[in-house]
Amino acid sequence: MISILYRVLNVLLATSVAILIIPVSLQIFSRFTEVIPHYIWTEEMARFLFVWTVMLGAAVGVREQAHFDVDLWPDMSPRVNAGVKLIASVAILGFALVFVWAGYEFTRFGWNRTSELADLPLWTIHIAWPVTGALWFIFQGQHAAKQLRIALGGSAS
Amino acid sequence: MMGAVLSSGQAAAILFGTFFGLMFLRVPIAFALGLACLPIFVIEPRLTAQNLVQETFNAFNSFILLAVPFFLLTANLMNVGGITDRLMKLSRTMVGHFPGGLAQINVVLSIFFAGISGSSTADAASQSKIFIEAQRKEGYDDSFSVAITAVSAVLAVIIPPSILMIVWGGILTVSIGSLFLAGIIPGLLIGLVQMATVHVYAKRRGYPTYPRATFNAFAVAMFVSIPALMTPVIIIGGKIFGWFTATESAAIAVLYAAVLSLFVYREMDFKGLYGALLDTGRLAGVTLFCVGTASAFGWLLAYYQIPKVILAGVGAWDLGITGTGIFIAVVFLIVGCFLDAIPAIIIVGTILQPLAVKAGMHPVHFAMVGIVSLAFGLVTPPYGLCLMIACSVAGIRIRDAIKDTMIMLIPMLGVLLLVIVWPEVSLILPRLISPEFLK
Repeated sequence: MISILYRVLNVLLATSVAILIIPVSLQIFSRFTEVIPHYIWTEEMARFLFVWTVMLGAAVGVREQAHFDVDLWPDMSPRVNAGVKLIASVAILGFALVFVWAGYEFTRFGWNRTSELADLPLWTIHIAWPVTGALWFIFQGQHAAKQLRIALGGSAS
Repeated sequence: MMGAVLSSGQAAAILFGTFFGLMFLRVPIAFALGLACLPIFVIEPRLTAQNLVQETFNAFNSFILLAVPFFLLTANLMNVGGITDRLMKLSRTMVGHFPGGLAQINVVLSIFFAGISGSSTADAASQSKIFIEAQRKEGYDDSFSVAITAVSAVLAVIIPPSILMIVWGGILTVSIGSLFLAGIIPGLLIGLVQMATVHVYAKRRGYPTYPRATFNAFAVAMFVSIPALMTPVIIIGGKIFGWFTATESAAIAVLYAAVLSLFVYREMDFKGLYGALLDTGRLAGVTLFCVGTASAFGWLLAYYQIPKVILAGVGAWDLGITGTGIFIAVVFLIVGCFLDAIPAIIIVGTILQPLAVKAGMHPVHFAMVGIVSLAFGLVTPPYGLCLMIACSVAGIRIRDAIKDTMIMLIPMLGVLLLVIVWPEVSLILPRLISPEFLK
């Protein structure tokens, strides 16, 4: 289940990066050519898509444990190492819940509002926060479960 | 600030204490910055976690930062589309016959790469894959290979175009065109001292060299590379002549790299393209998410006027331009050990700006001191992204590569000192080419 979710997110992420280039290119070409009119919404469209790209990338990053951390610890046994990582996992899980909760409020706040230029409903962007929070929770939960197993029952060293 | 429950000192203690505590517990930096804000939201009745969401939203809802994924994508397209290969061949005909030929190629390729992409992390990721294994086979020490790959990657943000210059220009309102021009000489100087460093290493350790390429081979490689080498001209020229904005110049770089890959060098297939897009999304998401939480953190610092309190003492020192420059460089070098460069600009650049203004530093000079110092931060542990990337590709620990990295940093710090004490190193090109940018 979770790996299917992960694969879908990968496709969405690659697609959003690819689409990102379109509004910005339109913006440039419309300035120098007469072929297409100068759309006013290109800039806003690019920004909103960018927000989604960053949030999706941050979610995929949790699954891949790609968010950079600072390792100041000496070499430790796999069990102790898993224990330390579990503490960090709990912190990330907590932050994920904050994002879900505060993001839910944020989405409600944007419910009846629209954007300035393109007249897009704002909740379609705001909802990226609770969605990302939920995705973090799922992915980091998976890591945490594994770390817990290693910390409790791992090798006897 | 009116009616805040916490004093500046208390808020600073909570923010920095929580951040460093979590960092020590190996919580990823991006999350540690966000989590450090939470106690404040609980304590301060006027603030809620809504502020955290709103500040991260404001940070991402930015046309400037869009340049980041575009430059990452440019770099990835260069790799899958055969542009990097051609530039590598060109570098080989230029410097392959020097002692430590492959390592020299590593540096020269970084210079070319820096002129096209503006992302050091992308440079470190792609060149680590190319060079570390190849250098290992030719008998170079791993720690040397990792160190030279990482330190040469920092050129990407010093030589234009540069993500850091775009972010700096956008946040601290400096002309990005003049920053692009200002970076050229310091960047080339750093590349030069790196080549000198490689030369000394190669002589002392007997690293191998390639036979000298014929002039013919050089001319052919040069001719093949001309379309790729036009990229910096298009980007920097377009920015200076005002044809497009900084973010748009990054989009142009993507389109140009895509055209070269698809129609000129014709090496990109769909799988390569998909990989390039996905890789871009991942790296952009991870590095930029950190910008969001850093912005919230920086916003809280400003809310409690913590920068003002910190700098109250320093302002009284009356350091003059050089003294202030050195102070700024030292602060950025230390901050760069713990933070990525973009969050550091957001949090620390804004703090130091009044100090630079007070000392009478030119904004472009200030920017170059900051950007070069922060670029060095990309290879200083514990949090040096380029070094981390190179180490993970090589499969060695950071502490094993630290010594060589630090040795290579010494001559680079010499260039930084030159940039500080002699503002003209940065200012002369913008002054000659587009004086109107300098006001």
